[in-house]
Amino acid sequence: MKRRKVDLADLPARSAGEIDDRLQVASPLRRLFNKVFPDHWSFLLGEIALYSFIVLLLTGTFLALFFDPSMQDTKYNGSFIPLRGIDMSGAYRSSLDISFDVRGGLFIRQMHHWAALLFMAAIVMHMLRTFFTGAFRKPRELNWIIGILLFWMGFTEGFAGYSLPDDALSGTGLRIASAIMLSIPIAGTWVTTSLFGGEFPGHVILDRLYIVHVLIIPGVILALIAVHLGLLVKQKHTQWPGPGRTNSNVVGVRMFPGFALKGGGFFMIVFAMIALLGGIFQINPIWLFGPYKAAVVSAASQPDWYVMFLDGSTRLMPAWEFRWHMFGNYYDIPPLFWPTVVLPGILTMLPIFYPFIEARFTKDKAVHHLLQRPRDVPTRTGIGAMAVSFYLVLLVSGGNDVIADKLKISLNAMTWAGRIGLLIIPPLAYYVVYRICLGLQQHDREVLSHGVETGIIRRTPEGRFYEVHQPLGPVDEHGHGELPYAGWVVPKKMNRVGALLPTLRGFFKPVETVEDVENEQSSNAPVSPAPSRHHEIGTGGRS
Amino acid sequence: MSTTTEHDDDFDVDDRSLSRFDLVREGARRDGVEIVHYAPKFPVPGTKREKRVVRTVALLFAITGLAALGFLISYIWWPYEYKSGFNINKYYTPMLGITLGLTLLSVGLAIITWGKKLLPDEISVQDRHDQIVDQTERKLTGATMLNMVDELGIARRPLLAKAALLGLAPVGALAAAPLVGGLIKDPHHPDVLVHTGWDNKLTNNGQPIRLVRDDMTPIRPEDISVGGQMTVFPGIPGGNTNDYGDSPTLLIHLRDDDADRLRGNITGQVPANENHMYGNLVAYSKICTHAGCPASLYEQQTSVLLCPCHQSQFNILDNARPIFGPATRRLPMLPLDVDSDGFLIAKSDYQQPVGPGFWERP
Amino acid sequence: MTANNRPLDPGADIPGTVGGRETAPDEQPDTSRAPRDGRPGRRGVFTRLGAPRAPRSRLRRRAWAGARMVAALALVGGLYAAFAPNVHAEDSSTLSGAAQQGETLYNSSCITCHGRNGQGVPGRGPSLVGVGSAAVEFQVTTGRMPLNQQQSQADRKQPMFSDDQARDIGAYIEALGGGPQLPNGNDFHSDGNISDGGELFRVNCSSCHAFGMGGGALSSGKYAPSLSNATDRQIYAAMLTGPENMPVFGNNQLTPQEKQDIIAYVRHQTNDQDPGGFGLGRLGPVPEALVIFLVGIVALVFAALWIAGKS
Repeated sequence: MKRRKVDLADLPARSAGEIDDRLQVASPLRRLFNKVFPDHWSFLLGEIALYSFIVLLLTGTFLALFFDPSMQDTKYNGSFIPLRGIDMSGAYRSSLDISFDVRGGLFIRQMHHWAALLFMAAIVMHMLRTFFTGAFRKPRELNWIIGILLFWMGFTEGFAGYSLPDDALSGTGLRIASAIMLSIPIAGTWVTTSLFGGEFPGHVILDRLYIVHVLIIPGVILALIAVHLGLLVKQKHTQWPGPGRTNSNVVGVRMFPGFALKGGGFFMIVFAMIALLGGIFQINPIWLFGPYKAAVVSAASQPDWYVMFLDGSTRLMPAWEFRWHMFGNYYDIPPLFWPTVVLPGILTMLPIFYPFIEARFTKDKAVHHLLQRPRDVPTRTGIGAMAVSFYLVLLVSGGNDVIADKLKISLNAMTWAGRIGLLIIPPLAYYVVYRICLGLQQHDREVLSHGVETGIIRRTPEGRFYEVHQPLGPVDEHGHGELPYAGWVVPKKMNRVGALLPTLRGFFKPVETVEDVENEQSSNAPVSPAPSRHHEIGTGGRS
Repeated sequence: MSTTTEHDDDFDVDDRSLSRFDLVREGARRDGVEIVHYAPKFPVPGTKREKRVVRTVALLFAITGLAALGFLISYIWWPYEYKSGFNINKYYTPMLGITLGLTLLSVGLAIITWGKKLLPDEISVQDRHDQIVDQTERKLTGATMLNMVDELGIARRPLLAKAALLGLAPVGALAAAPLVGGLIKDPHHPDVLVHTGWDNKLTNNGQPIRLVRDDMTPIRPEDISVGGQMTVFPGIPGGNTNDYGDSPTLLIHLRDDDADRLRGNITGQVPANENHMYGNLVAYSKICTHAGCPASLYEQQTSVLLCPCHQSQFNILDNARPIFGPATRRLPMLPLDVDSDGFLIAKSDYQQPVGPGFWERP
Repeated sequence: MTANNRPLDPGADIPGTVGGRETAPDEQPDTSRAPRDGRPGRRGVFTRLGAPRAPRSRLRRRAWAGARMVAALALVGGLYAAFAPNVHAEDSSTLSGAAQQGETLYNSSCITCHGRNGQGVPGRGPSLVGVGSAAVEFQVTTGRMPLNQQQSQADRKQPMFSDDQARDIGAYIEALGGGPQLPNGNDFHSDGNISDGGELFRVNCSSCHAFGMGGGALSSGKYAPSLSNATDRQIYAAMLTGPENMPVFGNNQLTPQEKQDIIAYVRHQTNDQDPGGFGLGRLGPVPEALVIFLVGIVALVFAALWIAGKS
């Protein structure tokens, strides 16, 4: 048989043709390739969460091959000497085996745990970015709500994972979780005994948490992420305002190859970060904690950071119990109910409804694709600062015993500081941040009106000194700038308007010479009179 | 994205005079994307700067390869078995982390450098198209949907709607029942939240239950030092395991004057705790009445018992009254006695429910 | 749990032979049963240091402490010069050589607060009669005593006396009124069973000293110290005597063998390098939270800034 000569150059086109004959993907594929993404560092925070989730799936699959969620008593016989001969559950034994007797198991376990912390941290950072820039406004309310659901799914998933090794710390966490469930009025006891299969701890909870942790919640998270990204693609990404950017377009780079290369590279960097954390920083050393026993506890018992704010709220809660007598029985709402059930409920519902509340107050029903700088919406920014400071007080209080111990502060004083701080700091934060926003806005307007400070001091014949200002655009008869306030970066240094050389590039030290900079023709001035030349449309990068 | 149709009819894809980039631009245009700025980073090939960037990327890929090799070598040959003390085995995990981290980091840096420094400068503008909502489309879809209702004729035949609703409601319950029903467990039969392992009728056939240590050995009153504390468990099979997670108890031997103060605080003030002490020994539930952690940080001079989870503090000399933190209830006291062999026993179960509160707490 | 053969016969003493020396059958004086001997404040072990004082600023406290130290030394020197011959003349006949050495040291450094012959000074220092040499050794070798200033809890610091001197003072205090003593030797961990010790540690010790042995906060500014610098003798003495707010774990409660198990576990853990990289002080989720934000998020935000930056 005669071999046909294959023309390598012709091969891609021919194979693409073969595929398209069958699938007819040519035009949707091209549409995907050509999708435009705006470029700004803050748009990458959500990607960190996405990539950590992928690492979680990879490392979690590895761990599932060795983990055994059994609560049956066994004797440890592995290589960690201080626990040899100790009675423990199968779950704890297999977690120890992963740590000490599976090659590289400890590394994967630590990566899994760090990836979980990073996943939640990135979700929170991403949420903050979305909130402070107004990216949640119409038409993106649904994606905002999905984001909140993703946070709580990640929260539950993380808590379940934290509980699985059945070490003394995770058992303590589970004990508190059972107490929280018990505190729910009317249904509490039924919910608790039903979930635990009887009294805490019982013998089934780990099996149930395991299936929740490896199947149910990951499935829900995957589905939510799919919808989240689907909506992102459908609605297209928001962008910062700037020359050439309007509410009806997206300015950026096409997905392939530019955006995809950066995204893929960033995935590698996130993965690398998790690997480095997993290798260098020890996390959750369960072998120090020993198996869970109801009588065992340690000073400084804390949950992971994303649960810590609830631990903080629980610690700050005053000892208020509601108890009354009715129909011959006593009824009781324990103090645990308010900070761990009611508060998270409020903290979920408030942000879910926030986009609608804000729209109602501002009477703004329009569709928004342009972001707002935090300074331009001082009220929202102030509210955000209030929420963040509230959260931070709770978070710090969640670790107040460690802080008290290490900084030699009285534990009781820490608790009181937290209680008072929780009431005082948020309104203070609102006021301060509100004023800062107005100040920044004011400064922007001044520069637009009077121009950039040049640093050149002149003296009038009368002997008066004044600084020369460089107007940013055309001026009226009084010498005041005519550029409108556009809600975007206003250059405040001479090099930013092209009057001086741009600063040398480089993160820590210059990576280019002065000649390099001089040779570069692009000025990329963010504010320009009219976008007549194409390259004046900035990509909105770090500026 | 209905823009695929609004392309320039004059455009001929087979026109030989068109460059490939012309085709790309036309393709993008049909997707509603205008490439408004497109300039190669290095228009003149082979400049010093271009070479430098290329060398950097190549070097990063080389580092990737080396680090990956390093990962494999450490993974296979670095000793990983646990060994006590300070030794080279303890660097196994850090070695894996550093080599894998370096591998991935240099891949990432290489790819991004490639993308940032070598790909052409590009600014594209894509139309969003959602500004103009097509009212016609909405109307047509709305009519189609309303027609569905008409076709079903629910408005004309209201009985059908009601019947379907009534008939299908139990089906919903039916779907939920097997999912939830299997899980339901009655908290009151047996009343697990009120009884502990110290209830000798339930756990020891009515025989008195001894206090035992973690290793199940019984305890004499003199075994516990003055100013000392001991975690004790019910002396029944499995009494020291998590099967009786609500039963761990803290046995404390008070000094004379402290014991007197406690007795003074019991008598007439907390009748539930009358006659629960044995000599200067007192036993409180170790399970915090707030969230169920073992409240066991016993300060023997200040007689404060601290729970490490939420910092509730209890005054041992006043019937374990909560004096700080979120706890609201005293730790229940276990009534103590000594049996004929001289070992400590519990006279009965705790008189109040142990552990965190709940709605129907008696 | 059959590792410890605990004698259950009520009459039997615990045959504890540690370090080659027979321990006293009941080293822990049972004050609840023994009739009180009328001496006030016998219960404390260098604790209950006077009436509580109002907290002062750290700086002022330091300055005061220094001034007081100088004053105390001058005073003690003067007292010593005045009384030393008499003291020797009175007691030397009944004291062993070590105890005599200890008495000299006691009279130069401890007498200001604890009074002559360890009787205690109301409002300044408790009586030391009957606290035993173990308590003295713990307090002196960890540098907690002599105190620089009156405070709610004595901190570990550079000890003022050598171990031998501490034992001499201990011998003197022992001679004054008995009390718990440490067995001889410096190595209480080699014969211990690490696993058993771990089990005992988690039930008895971890609640205050934490799983990672870094210590933890107690109520109102008190704390349980870290165990990482403690020697075998100090851990043993702490269990035996219950210094400050620590509960007492007498030999009826934790047998000498069990104490050695616990010490073996503590020594093993504090000398065990973390297998997962840098251990973050073994403080649990709090430092982990700091790392994920200060290292993880900060580094990735910098990466994002670089990626999205123009080039």
